[in-house]
Amino acid sequence: MAQKLYKQPLIPRKVRQAFSNGIVYLLLLAGSGFMFFPLFWMISTSLKTMEEANSPRITWWPAQPQMDAYVQVLTDDRWLLYFSNSVFVTGLAVTGTLVSVAAVAYAFSRIQWPGRNLFFFLMLSTLMLPPQTTLVPQYVVFNKIKWVGTYNPIIIPGFFAGGALYIFLLRQFMMGLPRELDEAALIDGANHFQVWWHIIMPLCKPALATIGVFLFVAHWNSLQAPLIYLQRAEMYTLPVVIANLINPQVRVQPWPLIMAASALTMIPLIVVFFFTQRYILESVALTGTKG
Amino acid sequence: MNPKLYTLLWAIGTVIFILLSSLAVAAVAKAIVRRRGENRLYQSRTFAGYFFASPWIVGYFIFVIGPTLASLYWSFTRFKLPDPPQWIGLQNYIQLLTADDQFRVSILNSLYVTFFGLPLQLAMALGLALLLYRRLPGEQVFRMVYYLPVMLAANAAMLITWRLVLNPNNGILNTVIRMIEDAVPPLVFARQVVVMITEVTNAAFIGLQRGDFTLLQQTLARGLPVPEAMPLWHQSQLWSKPAIIFIGVWSSGAMMMIYLAALCSVPTHLYEAALVDGASSWQRFWRITFPMISPATFYNLVVGIIATLQIFEQSYVLTDNGGPAQSTYFVAYYLWRSTFRFNKIGYGAAMSWILLVLILVLTLIQFRLANRWVYYEYES
Repeated sequence: MAQKLYKQPLIPRKVRQAFSNGIVYLLLLAGSGFMFFPLFWMISTSLKTMEEANSPRITWWPAQPQMDAYVQVLTDDRWLLYFSNSVFVTGLAVTGTLVSVAAVAYAFSRIQWPGRNLFFFLMLSTLMLPPQTTLVPQYVVFNKIKWVGTYNPIIIPGFFAGGALYIFLLRQFMMGLPRELDEAALIDGANHFQVWWHIIMPLCKPALATIGVFLFVAHWNSLQAPLIYLQRAEMYTLPVVIANLINPQVRVQPWPLIMAASALTMIPLIVVFFFTQRYILESVALTGTKG
Repeated sequence: MNPKLYTLLWAIGTVIFILLSSLAVAAVAKAIVRRRGENRLYQSRTFAGYFFASPWIVGYFIFVIGPTLASLYWSFTRFKLPDPPQWIGLQNYIQLLTADDQFRVSILNSLYVTFFGLPLQLAMALGLALLLYRRLPGEQVFRMVYYLPVMLAANAAMLITWRLVLNPNNGILNTVIRMIEDAVPPLVFARQVVVMITEVTNAAFIGLQRGDFTLLQQTLARGLPVPEAMPLWHQSQLWSKPAIIFIGVWSSGAMMMIYLAALCSVPTHLYEAALVDGASSWQRFWRITFPMISPATFYNLVVGIIATLQIFEQSYVLTDNGGPAQSTYFVAYYLWRSTFRFNKIGYGAAMSWILLVLILVLTLIQFRLANRWVYYEYES
């Protein structure tokens, strides 16, 4: 009925629709090109020879792709050590933070206890605190207890449920689970620890996966804290090494090697994102609507 | 001793410490409510609640409250490790706010990126969200592609790749620009205009920052740049901040997701009514969509301001320690530099307090202004 209200257009609706969809697709593809082109350039450069990568004449894709740079990185004991350092720091920090965040979120969502609202408010207020406020004094303390030069300052603080945003996200998710679950279990004689570990945690897998990925990204990319706390080269994590790869003294940089190392650093991020993107994209949207 | 084994042992020790301290906190809390004469159920809930929340409560005192108070005290002292702090009153703050040129430059640079970069990021995010909102087949894939840069952007590996991409001579970006211009020659003039506007704006900004306008005079004297003049990105002080903004725009996928969620929650009957009244798509966007998604804009703005004030990796990796000519000194970078490179603990503490106040003030202004333009549907 409503269609009668419009003038009959010159070009049929279907054609106009197809045309505008085509334009939208073109724009979407252009956007994707924009997103991918640094990654493309990274891969392309990593497959070039030194001369090709540094030549003023640009080749989009090397005439003869070389795997030399990758072989060089992957057979170098130092690079393997840097990889294992990054994996160690990220793995331990993510595990400790995730478990403690899950425990605290459980307290803030499934148990009624006096003081809960006060502490919840305090927790949210730390969201406003820039990390720099605590960076300086924490350094002084870690220096005093001889932790500077070890991995401890990068990893241990997370064990105390570091990251108010993660607690908040997980709490929101746990609030959505039906109350009857824990009540039934508690009446049957289970204690809170059992309810948390055997009932709530398995149901939170999507939220835990998301927060795990956020934590993984934060630690894998982290540059500032390792720069401050790690002092010996054999303890460096990947970002610290890569950030210092360019030697301003020389004119010709080993770009293929730098890009191969960078590509290998990016791969874990891309793979993890690929397998968890569904959960992640959902919860990113959630932070905005709840916040 | 192997550093990994050392930290692993400390980690195990920390877990034991957390468990014991949680038990202690929970026991104390329970004892207090029992003293008050509460029933058994209430007591056990108190115990469980404090037990589970304790990792955060204990951590809050060790890693937030303690350091914050210490930092407040140290900001009034001269403190160089390993010497003990020396009380000097407000001297750090006076020095920072009146005499430290590098700090003033850093603050102004941070504000520059906030005021010029954030609107561009928002525009990009909203543009992409509007494209995705069509729900065309394959939308999921595009969503993924647009979000991916958010995960990669802060990594040093990505930033070093940007150095290569943005290289003014044989970088891929300027090459692509030249290619497009070869296909569409009138764009050369457009680029010249953009180059001139950017360089004049940046030269004027640097002039205001330093109180020395010779750079601006030189730039203006050059007039419209020669057709060969390309953006110099991280290698020129007139282009280094635009380069950082460019990377920010590249990674605006998180804001896009927020916008997309907001777009999907706009009730369709509003659009139908407008269509019946004969509103154009332009009108529908500015009169319906834009006001209805204003809470998302607000959220993105608040989070974005806090994020731009934290910029560090870009200065360290992309522009080689805040260069050229300190044009990418930002607050967080300068704080790190003077505290940890030059061991000025008290000075750094004072700076972190100024940063905190700056964030609070900017956020407060946001919330004040929000009444005028943010529309919440469930408000009466």
